[in-house]
Amino acid sequence: MAGLAASFGRGAMTNHWIDYKNADVVIAIGANPAENHPMAMRWIDRAREERGAKLIVIDPKFNRTAAMADIYVPIRPGTDIALLGGILNYALSNDKYFKEYVAAYTNASFLVDPGVKFDDVNGLFSGAAESTDGQVKYDTKSWQFQKDADGKYKLDAKLEDPLCVLQLMKKHYARYTPKMVSDTCGMTEADFQKVAETFCATGKADKAGMILYAMGITQSTHGSQNVRAIAILQLLMGNIGIPGGGVNAQRGESNVQGSTDMALLYNNLPGYMPYPTAAAHPTLAKYNESTPKAGYWTNRPKFMASMLKSWWGAAATKANDFCYEWLPKLDARDHTHMSIFEAMGQGEVKGLFAWGQNVAVGGPNQNKAREALAKLEYLVAVDLFETETAGFWNRPGVNPADIKTEVFLLPAAASFEKQGTVANSGRWIQWRWKAVEPLGESKDDLWIADRLFKAIKKEYAAGGVMADPILKLNWSYGDDEPSAEKVAMEINGTTVADGKLVPGFASLKDDGTTACGCWIFSGYYQDADKPACKNRTKDEPGGLGSNLNWSFAWPANRRIVYNRCAADPAGKPWDPQRPLIAWDGEKWVNKDVPDFGWKNADGSMIKPETSAANPFIMNAEAKGLLWNASSLKDGPLPEHYEPVESLFANKFSKRQFNPAITISGKGDFGQRAEFGDKNYPYVCTTYRLTEHWQSGIMTRNTPWLGEMMPDMFVELSESLAAKLGVANGDRVTVSTVRGEVTAPAMVSARMKAIKVHGKETDVVGMPWHWGYKGMFTGDSANLLTPHFGDANTNIPEFKAFVCNVKRAEGTGPVRR
Amino acid sequence: MSKGMLIDLTKCMGCRGCQVACKQWNDLPAEKTSYNQEFTNPQNRSAYTWTLVEFHTTTYEEKTLSTFTKTQCLHCEHPACESVCIAGAIKKQENGAVTIDADKCIGCRYCQVACPFHVPKYQYDKLFPKMQKCTMCFDRISSGMKPACAATCPQGAILFGDREELLKTAKARIAKNKTKYLDHIYGEHEVGGTAVMYLSGVPLNLTALNPNVADEAVPNFTWKAMKQLPFLLGAVGVASVGLLAYSKRRTDIEADQRKEDGR
Repeated sequence: MAGLAASFGRGAMTNHWIDYKNADVVIAIGANPAENHPMAMRWIDRAREERGAKLIVIDPKFNRTAAMADIYVPIRPGTDIALLGGILNYALSNDKYFKEYVAAYTNASFLVDPGVKFDDVNGLFSGAAESTDGQVKYDTKSWQFQKDADGKYKLDAKLEDPLCVLQLMKKHYARYTPKMVSDTCGMTEADFQKVAETFCATGKADKAGMILYAMGITQSTHGSQNVRAIAILQLLMGNIGIPGGGVNAQRGESNVQGSTDMALLYNNLPGYMPYPTAAAHPTLAKYNESTPKAGYWTNRPKFMASMLKSWWGAAATKANDFCYEWLPKLDARDHTHMSIFEAMGQGEVKGLFAWGQNVAVGGPNQNKAREALAKLEYLVAVDLFETETAGFWNRPGVNPADIKTEVFLLPAAASFEKQGTVANSGRWIQWRWKAVEPLGESKDDLWIADRLFKAIKKEYAAGGVMADPILKLNWSYGDDEPSAEKVAMEINGTTVADGKLVPGFASLKDDGTTACGCWIFSGYYQDADKPACKNRTKDEPGGLGSNLNWSFAWPANRRIVYNRCAADPAGKPWDPQRPLIAWDGEKWVNKDVPDFGWKNADGSMIKPETSAANPFIMNAEAKGLLWNASSLKDGPLPEHYEPVESLFANKFSKRQFNPAITISGKGDFGQRAEFGDKNYPYVCTTYRLTEHWQSGIMTRNTPWLGEMMPDMFVELSESLAAKLGVANGDRVTVSTVRGEVTAPAMVSARMKAIKVHGKETDVVGMPWHWGYKGMFTGDSANLLTPHFGDANTNIPEFKAFVCNVKRAEGTGPVRR
Repeated sequence: MSKGMLIDLTKCMGCRGCQVACKQWNDLPAEKTSYNQEFTNPQNRSAYTWTLVEFHTTTYEEKTLSTFTKTQCLHCEHPACESVCIAGAIKKQENGAVTIDADKCIGCRYCQVACPFHVPKYQYDKLFPKMQKCTMCFDRISSGMKPACAATCPQGAILFGDREELLKTAKARIAKNKTKYLDHIYGEHEVGGTAVMYLSGVPLNLTALNPNVADEAVPNFTWKAMKQLPFLLGAVGVASVGLLAYSKRRTDIEADQRKEDGR
């Protein structure tokens, strides 16, 4: 997400699921749609059947998507940037990129500060300041673009200046030779060549290439840069904004997109507004001063004022900055999942709500994480079943009498027992109706949240510290049973004076006359009787599949974002077969909602030249960012570093792993195998299976699913099994510096040894769905996984670490 | 019109939605299973698992190959099971489904022996066991719905329709993409034709389909044996007692086996 926003302006899938059918080549890298997003395969299959599309799968394991692929190439976990950089090099050095597109719609021609430099010996960009523990913080001054006296970006339209972005990229990725890439990634040069040639054939007007990714890309210490590498490749190929193209982030849960839209991440407010910090943004004026100076984000003060107005209603006035003061501010600390657990381990966290989240299976370094839970005074688990989290106090090997934490388990309603919206990966916000009444005493989340808040408010009525933000909070979803529709209307936004629902975020104001809970959703519930998110009309078959009358996609019902790029600067569709938007000489003819200025308020048309200059409206630069000057902590271009735990020295530079990541090691959560530790000779990775879902708490309590995939296993190659003297089904113990897992060995042709820098290398894989509760139990793979993560998002490096494997006693399943 | 299903194995990705949908619609319980190297589970079809996706991973033409084969009753055009059913419980219905009438079934298991695809399964755990198998969701298709497996398949790998139409579809797919498909519709001619048919992209011995069945309809030769029926009937009483004893012993052995496995 961070990588997407840093390239295109929005942290979301650029296209949508059904649009997969419009692709000519699909790469699934770090994604396994056949197993984890089975419905996606229907549309990929449609593309293959109707367009002769090719599916390329790049994954350490021959998974079920690989079984469907035209080209399958194994890759060593954590080396995606090497591969993608190699493809960039192939495209740039062989003129395989889409020149007209790149020149018009990306920042390829922008000139960068003359002080810019990449030190390819030490693997650092200019501006690096290294602290004593080796962590690098960058001063991004030398990464900035040159501007002329009028403040306009300096460009080289010919793309020849050595300081222009395209030339800087050419130079940077020239080091990513086919040999270097294939040696690093553990693939043959022929395989690399095949992938590069097949995909780069889409760098043309009439071809569309699509890249799908998921957690295999993001769960890395350079995850944001992995995404950036994909984004850059897609910009070079001219694959952004077009049908059948895009960078399509496949979310791991049905409503992850919706939850991040609603500010699940600690450093966001709803609609991806940055969360204010106490130091920099003590007042609303200060916060608004940080508003970007160009691009659509210049409207941010309107969205902020409207959000505050929706939160504090009548109490929020222009005179009191709409109660901005009441908004809790962030301190300077990181508050992501791992940091919360490190703080918990230190006894700094008193209580935890684990709401639909099974942290005792899902998070990394579980031995430490489960110990940390015991430092809590109280723990509230809200879930369908007793999760490992809810039952951490009586887990195997623990004496319940030693645990002082008070634990509450609130029974929650399942998705079909409640109503509300779910926003899918393609940003479609779809209303779901309740199918059945909740079982027993279980309640829907809104009911629980409503009761909880009302109880808190009652406590504060007797007085308390900072009572006003609670007492005056606008909380009007019903006196008894809260209404999901009322919440939806608040999110959609209203004009304050008459309470009328607003048609979209363009109507929002910064003067307190409008209220809106989440600006990007605005318009999805404009008509209370027939809200767009409840629309269910399909397109006629044969079209591009925009389905504009099926649900509502944020923003403004746009299905493929940045869709100005689907046509050339004059407005002529690049591919006449896939005309998403087109200028017919007088007017725009659209099969999607334009993601650009196309019509004036008076209904007159805006000519294509105007929008051609501003195809990425969210970016201050107005272009797709091949080069990102400031929003990421670890560089303007992706550079290959090894995973933190790796068997191999980085051959690209002396810098072993991402210099900008934080390994706090607080409370020894951050244990890691030092480079060269002979005790851990194998690469290890984790993954998911079709039959189970996430921490498995729903699927391991569903007999039909458990029947198909009852037990935890460790998957290893026939060659490693032979080396270890292990037969299929024999128990093995996998160990890392953090823990051990014992399970039967799945000796399989799906896992193969790969050759890395001339050395036969074994990769061990395991699913992470099991735990000690429910009907089907087994060791959690996350007993092994490391507690450090991406430089920008702090997403843990679940996918690449080192381990040892030994024969254990006995054969068959190990149940806990 | 006689209905059927066309299963396009090139489209199956092994998600097993069909396997679960079958159990859900037909109210079949989960069986006790254990870790299996190929993902196939349960290991075999049974009275409680009517459709099973069988996984097979191998090296083929120097590449890793995984095949996923959905197996179930093929609903033969001339069912061997029907021809040997002494209780008259099994019937090839007009709509193409081969069904077992549980009220008539005496659990003699002749059908189990006769079926070239080992489909009808015995309720080993019941006091009065019946034979069980896929009904092509007879109740659903009689109401104009698709079978549960076909309705749930995200890939559209399981087509349900008139057998004649499905044959046309299958032929068209092969004609359109000769490199992708084997030039063989499994079930078009096998055992005289089956209502459930398959397309495959790889040789059948790499799938769970049995390539070694004759094209001749099984009843053509079972009937020769069944002409002896009047003489056989007298023996049925004796045989039934024997079978009951055998099945009881087998159930006990299985129960012991489960205990040993710690299940």
